Parts: sequence; C-alpha cells; structure tokens
Amino acid sequence: MIQYLAEHGPGLIHWLILSNVLFAIGIYGLLSRRNAIGILMSVELMLNSAAMNAVVFNRFLTPRAVDGEILALFVIAVAAAEAVVALAIFVALFRNRSSIDVNRMDSLKG
Amino acid sequence: MIFLPELIVVVCAVAILLTDLWLDERRRVILAPMAAIGLVVAMASLIISVPQNGLTLGGRFSVDPVGWWFKVFFLLSGLITILISLDLLDGRVGVRMRGIGFRGEYYTVLLATILGMMVLVSARDLITLYVSLELATMPLFVLTAWRRDDAQSGEAGMKYVIFGAMASACMLYGLGLLYGLTGSTALTAIDRQLANMPAFWLATAMLVAGIGFKLTIVPFHFWAADVYQGAPAPVTAYLSVASKGAGLAFAFQILYRWMDGWIADAAVGVAVFAALTMTLGNTVAIVQHNIKRFMAFSAISQAGYLVMGFVGGLPEGIPAMLFYLLVYAVTNLAVFACIVWFSNQTGKEQIEDYRGLARTNPLIALTMMLGLFSLAGIPPLSGFVGKFFLFSVASKAGFHWLVAVAAVNSTISLYYYLRIVRQMYIEPADKDSTRLPITPTLAATLMVLSATQLLMGIIPSLYETISSQTLAWLAR
Repeated sequence: MIQYLAEHGPGLIHWLILSNVLFAIGIYGLLSRRNAIGILMSVELMLNSAAMNAVVFNRFLTPRAVDGEILALFVIAVAAAEAVVALAIFVALFRNRSSIDVNRMDSLKG
Repeated sequence: MIFLPELIVVVCAVAILLTDLWLDERRRVILAPMAAIGLVVAMASLIISVPQNGLTLGGRFSVDPVGWWFKVFFLLSGLITILISLDLLDGRVGVRMRGIGFRGEYYTVLLATILGMMVLVSARDLITLYVSLELATMPLFVLTAWRRDDAQSGEAGMKYVIFGAMASACMLYGLGLLYGLTGSTALTAIDRQLANMPAFWLATAMLVAGIGFKLTIVPFHFWAADVYQGAPAPVTAYLSVASKGAGLAFAFQILYRWMDGWIADAAVGVAVFAALTMTLGNTVAIVQHNIKRFMAFSAISQAGYLVMGFVGGLPEGIPAMLFYLLVYAVTNLAVFACIVWFSNQTGKEQIEDYRGLARTNPLIALTMMLGLFSLAGIPPLSGFVGKFFLFSVASKAGFHWLVAVAAVNSTISLYYYLRIVRQMYIEPADKDSTRLPITPTLAATLMVLSATQLLMGIIPSLYETISSQTLAWLAR
C-alpha cells in the first residue's frame, strides 16, 4: 500500500484540481452565505486556493526556484491584513446596526 | 535613487502617524499641511531627480515615461484630495457630521494608498505587483468606512471590502495561473503560443474581472454606486479619480508588459467593454437623485472613455489615455470640491438641494458648471480635448462604431450634467437660503483647479510633452 502510494503520488493536475475545487467552494460560499463573517471565510478560501496554485506550480515546474513560495507567503500576509480590515469594518457596522446579515444591508439606493 | 518619491511618501506617512501621537486634538490641524507638503516634496523629487528610464532592485522596480506620468497623476490627485478633505476633518464645517475625525490615521492611510499606486506602476515582478495592488486597494476599504458612527458609511465599507476581496482573490488566481504558464514571476512579454491553452483563457478571464472591478467596467461596476454614495465625500472624490487611475495602471501593466505585441488581438473585446461601460454609466446616471451616486455613474461612463485608449493597442492610445487621466483628475476633483463644500456646509447630498446655488454663491456655481461641462466634453474645455484624442485613437484603430457610440454617449452625458446646472441656475432658490461661507483653502483649491482645467484645454504643450515622451519610449 505504502509502496503503491509512493509510486503513484498526486501530480500537478491533481493539485490543480484540488485548488480549483477550493476556489469554487469559496465562490459558492461567497454567494450563499448571509453572514458577513461567513463571506469573509469564503474569500479567504479563494485566496488560499490561489496561494496553493502558486506553491504547486513552483514545486512541479521550477523546483529549484522559490518564487511561487514567496508569492504564497505574501498572499498569506495580505489575506491576514484583509481579514483585519474586513473584521474592523464589520465590528463598526455591528455597533450601528446590531447585525451583519448582508441581506439587510440595503439602506444605500438610488 | 529612482524610488525617492515613494520613500518620501512612506517617511511622510510614518511621520504623520507618530506626530499624531504627540499632539493634542487642538494641534492636530498641522497634520494636513504635513501630508500636503510631503506630497509636494515627493512630486518635486519625482520631477527633478527621477530619470524617465531606469531600474533598480535587480530589475524589479523600474521607471519609464508612462509610469512616470502615472506617478505624477497619483501624487496630484492625492494632493488635491488632501486639500479638499481637510475642512471636513478639521471640523470647519457648517453642519457637524458624526464619526469623522482621526486625522492622523486618515492622512496616513491616504498616503499608504498613494504609495501602493506609485509602486504598482513601477513593479516589474508579479509579487511586487500583487502586494502593491493590495496596498493601493485595502486602505480604500478603511477610508470608505471612515465615518465610524454612520451606518451608511459602514455599509458602503462592508460592500466594498467583500467585493474588493473577491476581486483580488480572482485576480490572484489569474496571476497564479500565468505564473504557472510562464514559470517565472517577471513581468515580461509572454509567448503568443500560450493563447491556445484553456488555462490561459481562464487566467485572462480572472484578470479581466479584477481589472474591471478596479476600473468599474460593466459588468463589474455594481459595487461603485453604493460605495461612492456611502463613503465620505472627499473619499468618494479620491475613489473616483485615483482608484480608477490605479485600475488603468494595472491594466497597462498587464496589457503592455505581459501581453505586449498582441493586445491588438483583444481589440474587439476592449471596444465592447468600453461601449457597454459608457452606455450603462450614462443611461443610469440620468435617473439618479443623490449627487454622489450620480457622480458614481458619471465616473463609470468616464472609465468607458478611458478604456478606449487600449483599443487596438496603438501607441497613440497611451498618451491620449494619460492626458485624459490628468484632465479627468483636475476636472472631476473640481466638481467634487464643490460637492464636498456643499455637503460640508449644508449636509445635503441630493441634486435638488443645489437649486438656486447660482443666486447665493455664483462663483462656486460657475466653477461647478465649468467642471461639469468639461466632463461632458464641451469645447474649449479640457475634457473636450481629452475626449478628442481618445476618440481619434479608436477611429485610427478602425472602430468607427465605437466612436459613434462614444459621441452619442457624450450627448447623453451633457443632458444629465445639465440637470445639475439647471438646478443651480434656473430653479429659484429657497426663500430662506443665504450665501454659504467657503474656507480659504477650498476656495484657492477650486480656483486653481478651474484655471488648470481651462488652460489644459487651450495650451497644447502638456499633451505634446506626454505624447513625445511616451511615444519615443513605446517605439523603442
């Protein structure tokens, strides 16, 4: 069994499918969640799938370079900053409205 | 040191944040002049000491004439934004707004986005490009939600942060795929052979979504109206000008560095996006009542005109676009200076509230009218000249139908800009309306903006300079 797994390890295409599925789950969550925090989590999922793409390409295409891995590190940092900004805005909004249900955010209209 | 202007902006931002800690609330009025001086010094250093060609940091950071002019644009629009926002932040207003303040943080965050945009046009590396784009975008979420105690501002911030994060995730996915296809993070021209691969098309679609979001290209424009309406008025001004410029700079980076040599293949797509954007922006603007929302749709249609510069990938498109961007910055910020002033003094934001403004404040009504006419493209104002160059690019690329659509759209836009002029000049003023005061800073800013806007339309040397510098570089 272990011998089989070692010989038939996942290739580039399998990892890409995985990251694509993650991205799709992120988009689904983004569209279906009503809670703003849930939406933020979905967006983080999308960002992580993109970061995973970079790492996977780096591993399979240019194993000697580290460009993709560095990109992934920066993506993680940026995602953290994004989460901070988003959560700060949600907290401020919750104080005013006592809700972060996105379906009720309809006070701005033309 | 070709990154001296960026360095000055960073130092200024940090200095403001630290100074803010030491000052008591009354003395914090000096922060706005600090930020303005910082930007002026950065602009001076850009003009004096930065050559228009050069690279550093192992080729990851470089300046070329196009990037140089983009930086002039970013610094200029940042400077004007500071000048029009300081009255609101310092509390020199007729109607006190709740939850505005935190001046030190405001200017720091504003300078951070300017820095992000400046690095964005200089990036020659995918990682720098991505990080600087996020640096340009994320502070805008914060600025949009700046009025902490205002539910509308918060709602706008929430919508912006969700859509913005989604757009940046899509774009990052596209960038990652392009990295996988080319195997390198350098922003150099990629092989045309790649165009046959489905992964390339997926990456392009993702990038179009990301660029379209920043530039408010239809169908990625839906966030703009709500965000512009909810954000504080000076922030709306900044969003409608600088953020759009950043989107254009990003589009330029992708189209002219990565897809260099074969963007002409995408001409039909670009033309369709441009036509859709200007048509939707113009038709929806007709029925708006809130002036900030109205300006949002006006800005969407202006983005449609700007994108025409990319049609066919002609070298002439770039100077036309840069010139129109500068004209748009001056014109749109002149109009926004009036909007900011009016909302500072009265707290009102409906178009109907502007009725009779020409009776009470004739000079401000005049500058606003000039700005609106320039946006609509009435000769001899600068907006006309800018549009003329853009339209001639589309015509030269063989897209005569696009020129026709754009001309019809300019006529429609004249109609709705005249709605405001009608309120100001023809409708009678309310009986109890009096002359509204204006602060010296804002008055001076308005005067300079109006004069610049007139001169840019009459004196041809600015366009000639941009054109000769960028064309010489593009032809190399």
